[in-house]
This record gives sequence, structure tokens and C-alpha cells, in this order.
Amino acid sequence: MTPNHPRSLANRCNSLKSTGPRSVAGKWASSQNSRKHGLNSAPDFESSLEYKALVVLVAEEGFSGFACADIAAGLLNYRRVMNAYYDTYTSPEPVNEFMHDMSVKGSIPIFREMLSESGSKPQDVRDMAAFFADMQRQERRKGGPVSRRSADSHKLIRYQRNGIARLSRAVRQG
Amino acid sequence: MSVDHKVSSLLPLLSSPRLLPDESEAEFQSGLQSLLSELDNPSPLAVALVSQLNESLWWIKRHTVDKELLLHEAMARLLSKAGSYGEIYDNRKVSEALERYLDGSADNDEAAWIEDILAKSKLTLSDLRVRAFKDAANHIKMVDDLIHRQHQTMRHLQRSIDSIDYKSRLIKRMDLELAALESEQPVKGALTLDAKPS
Repeated sequence: MTPNHPRSLANRCNSLKSTGPRSVAGKWASSQNSRKHGLNSAPDFESSLEYKALVVLVAEEGFSGFACADIAAGLLNYRRVMNAYYDTYTSPEPVNEFMHDMSVKGSIPIFREMLSESGSKPQDVRDMAAFFADMQRQERRKGGPVSRRSADSHKLIRYQRNGIARLSRAVRQG
Repeated sequence: MSVDHKVSSLLPLLSSPRLLPDESEAEFQSGLQSLLSELDNPSPLAVALVSQLNESLWWIKRHTVDKELLLHEAMARLLSKAGSYGEIYDNRKVSEALERYLDGSADNDEAAWIEDILAKSKLTLSDLRVRAFKDAANHIKMVDDLIHRQHQTMRHLQRSIDSIDYKSRLIKRMDLELAALESEQPVKGALTLDAKPS
């Protein structure tokens, strides 16, 4: 596609209307929008003071320079995973009790009353009831707080597996 | 270097395991101390690994409690669903009342209320438990996976601790052999120096 193609020009014009973040701080803030546990981002342990101090301490035990670096990074990485695990476990998605306990059938007259003002048809009331019933099913499927925290923690199993394997390998090969 | 000193040298560099508000710090620390006392060679790295091992044990305890709580949650859900044919029950209210009923700490009114819902839904407590187990099977399996993961983690940590212990024993043995060789060397050297070619 040549730069003068109408579609290309339209894209360029539209991109100028973009309302996305422009400042560095704004871009950073929006990059955190869907952040859940942060375990997929690459950590920078090497520049931390803890890392340097750990390397020195592990070196005193007779490990080689490379092994010390691996063990220190492995330990810090494992702690990072376990901290995220704790945070996930202690802050599950809250239960929407209104949605969980509401009687959809009993709410149909209320829906009817709400929709009658805008001159809606009976089908609209049925659609609204079906929508709420679906939301309720989804909410109930997630279960209570214990079910939610178990399901959320379960998603971090692979990070734990990788974290401990990395640490164990570094110690045993050191 | 004492064990306490070794604990204080490396552990502050790592974020320490966090406890839930209702958990006992003293119990957690006593578990850690008893594990540390098992170490042949409490080097700072071994102490750090044992601390992670103690945390894994603690997670196993938490998840085991969760398995029972999942059952209670499912029982409350079934009970409020079963009782809601006549009237609407608040799931949280049923859940809290059932928790106290199972603990044996429910007052007479609460116990009568739970028994009334059970009777209305034609269920005994054991029936309800069986149904709840079936209902919560997916989540119980998830918790089993979490417990299994902690067991695997412990195995990794044990192997790592063993390798450090083995390494330190090996270094100690090599040091002893080297010292023995060094003590023999001057004698042999003296003999070779003294032996003049004829």
C-alpha cells in the first residue's frame, strides 16, 4: 500500500485524533491497567542492593561467581513469586452479593416498570431478565471467597514451578 | 557463627513469608526453629532454603483448611438454594449460621433455623455433605493441585539443602586430606632432599 493510498491517509488522520496517553507517566499508568500479578514482566534483580549483598554472602560458602549470581537471582525470583501468590490468595475478586442472591423471576415486574417508560416491548423485558440470569449464573459459578481464592491461586502454579526449579538448579549445579 | 547469626545475615535480604491476620507468628517461628535444628551445617544459604521449606509447610496447612472451607461453602450454597423454594435466603446469612452450627457454637434459634431448612429440603447433614463434595469437586481438585505443588516445592528444596550439605562435607573432607598431605609433604621432601645421589 503506497503512502498516498486513501486508506493509509485516513489511518494517519485518525491516528492524530487518538486520545491515548501521551506523557511518559500516562503511558506507564495505562500499561498497568491489566496488570494482575506482574510475574510476566522481566525483573531486574542485578541492580538491586539485595542481589549484590546475596551474591557476597553466597560466595562466602565457596560457590563460583556464576553460581552465586544464579543462586541470588533464583532466591529473589522465588520470593517474588511467593509474594505474588500471597497477594493473589489474600485478595480474591469480591463476591457480588446482590447479583448472587437476587431473584431474577421476582425482578421481572421491576424490569417491566423500568422499561415501560421508554415504550419497550415484552421481548425487551425477557431479554433483560435473560441478561441478569446469565450474569447471576456466571457469578454463582465463581463460588464464594474460598473458591475464588483457590481458583486465582491455581493460576500461579506454573510460576511457582518455574521459580523453584530455577532456584534448585542454581544451587545443585553451583 | 551461631544459627541465629546466620539467620540474621541472609534472611533480611529476602522478603519474609507473610502471615494472615488470624495466624500465629509464634507457631510459624517455632516450626522454623525446629527445622533449623535439624540442619547438620546451618550455612546462611541452607537457612534461607529451610525458611522457604517452612513457608511451603505453612501453605499446605492453609490449603488443607481451605478444603474443608470449600465444603462448607458448597453446603451453604446448596442449603440456601434448597430452602429458597418457599422464601429467599441470604447466602451469606446461611453460610455464617451453618459455620457456627458445624462448629457447635450456634445458639438455639440459629440451630433450629438450620435444622428447619434441612428438614424443608429433605436432607440430612451427611447427605448435604456428600452433595456439597460433588458440587465443589472442581475447586477441591484445584486445592489438591496447590497442595501437590507445595509438596513438589519441598522436594526441590530438600534436594538443594542436601546438595549444600554434601558440598560442605566434601569441602571439609578435601580440607582434611589436604592437611594430611601437607603434613606428610615436608617429611617426604626432607627425605628426597636428604637423599644424595651416590
